[in-house]
Amino acid sequence: MFQRICSVLLKGASLVAVSYFFSAATNAQEGHPLKGSWIGEWSGNSDLGEFVLVVMDWDGSAVSGMINPGTDNMGIENVDLNPEDWSVTIESGGYTIEAVIENLELPSRALVGTWRGPGGEGNFEIVRQ
Amino acid sequence: MTVMKYSRIKTYINVLMTYFALASIGSVFAHHPIYGKFDPDESIQINGIVTKVDWRSPHIHVFVNVASGSDVVNWAVEMENPYILLANNWDDTSLQPGDAIAVSGIRARNGSRQLWGEDVRLADTGRAVYTVGDTEPQKPLAARPVPRWPDGTPALGAEPGSTGGVWSYPTSKALVEDGVDLAMDDYGQLANIADASKVAPMQDWALARYVHRQERFLQDDPMYLDCKPPGGPRQYQSDLGFQLIEDRKSARIFVLLGSGNRNYRIIYLDDRDQVGRVTGDDDNPLFYGRSVGAWEGDTLVVNTTGFNEGFWFTNGGLPHTNLLSMVEKFTRVSQDTMQYEVTINDPGAYTRPWTASWELSWVGGQELPYSLCQHNRQ
Repeated sequence: MFQRICSVLLKGASLVAVSYFFSAATNAQEGHPLKGSWIGEWSGNSDLGEFVLVVMDWDGSAVSGMINPGTDNMGIENVDLNPEDWSVTIESGGYTIEAVIENLELPSRALVGTWRGPGGEGNFEIVRQ
Repeated sequence: MTVMKYSRIKTYINVLMTYFALASIGSVFAHHPIYGKFDPDESIQINGIVTKVDWRSPHIHVFVNVASGSDVVNWAVEMENPYILLANNWDDTSLQPGDAIAVSGIRARNGSRQLWGEDVRLADTGRAVYTVGDTEPQKPLAARPVPRWPDGTPALGAEPGSTGGVWSYPTSKALVEDGVDLAMDDYGQLANIADASKVAPMQDWALARYVHRQERFLQDDPMYLDCKPPGGPRQYQSDLGFQLIEDRKSARIFVLLGSGNRNYRIIYLDDRDQVGRVTGDDDNPLFYGRSVGAWEGDTLVVNTTGFNEGFWFTNGGLPHTNLLSMVEKFTRVSQDTMQYEVTINDPGAYTRPWTASWELSWVGGQELPYSLCQHNRQ
């Protein structure tokens, strides 16, 4: 019975932990929607691997940033954001990413689209952290 | 017996699990701007019997049994904040279970049996309940002189030697550039979204984001969703008011807020630099920024920089960035009136600096309400 009680307690603790995880994950970023750290995948990238980390900043006139800082260190050369449909084009190191911001008002908004470049082409999805 | 004990323990644990889970997500559903939940174009009337009055922030709920054919169904009537109702001399006993009432209001967008109660009346007498009126104190016909400290500096709070009093009843509830005439409600919701570009000189992305927030009826406001502080000028646009406590010995002014999560902001008057201090405000950027002020004649001029981007700096959802700086001017023109002016300089979101201004009224002898956004849905 002790095990059963422990099991129930564990389930309860897990639920609480998950709840707090999600509330901790809702750190708002109410300024420029591209600013921040983004983590996700560019599927099938034979050159750099599927995991991708993107860091972007906004200086009032342009978005700057880096892809995979610390490993590939690819500086972002150009970012175009079209606020009419929240579509985004990112160019970096011969790669072109075309995506759309989804869930704009959520802190954990996503950039979803495609990529193409030296490592091939495929789907692209990153989520703001 | 052992089985019963285990069963009871399991029941308690399940209740606790449910409680913690709901408590952690409850604030997600708390909101004040009502049009995100209720459709102003869907008027509805119900008649029924009160079953319960749920008296809690941010809005009370009156539950009503309504006859529907041969059945009875329960409706939820959502109404104002308890603090505002208390200020209008209503409480949780103003309606009692068993009272027959007639309710007019607007229906929930999701089609559920919920409405925002605009008019609630006792069926037998027709007497209106939970009405909210204008409680702003009447100003004297002749302006009373500005209270001053012995050195002649205007006092920003209570008359020196006395206590109590708050600034409230702002004449503007959302930031709009001075000189612009357009219609919006107290939450900053535009009557006509086509007016969005007139509100302030926004960059394209900022305008698009503002319009998006307006189209979603402000339901994403982090002050209501996550208890984020009302940084920037927003703290001076709440009916819950604020106090300016002058600590002249330490050359600082504490701004105590009645809205949001009821915290405070400090304006330093000691000529310090606007940089983080390791033993103080080295966390940065900040919800309230770093504020330094100085008197220019009878006007307190406050310069603030160092804002983060984790909040809305005005009702209505105008965006800002961490490049925001603002210059505020507080001028107490009489004992009962404060003129407030703010110049917004945010090259991250706007195409040029712009200014908004409004007045606030002095409510002498009153203390700040004990209203915490953390209470919402608890």
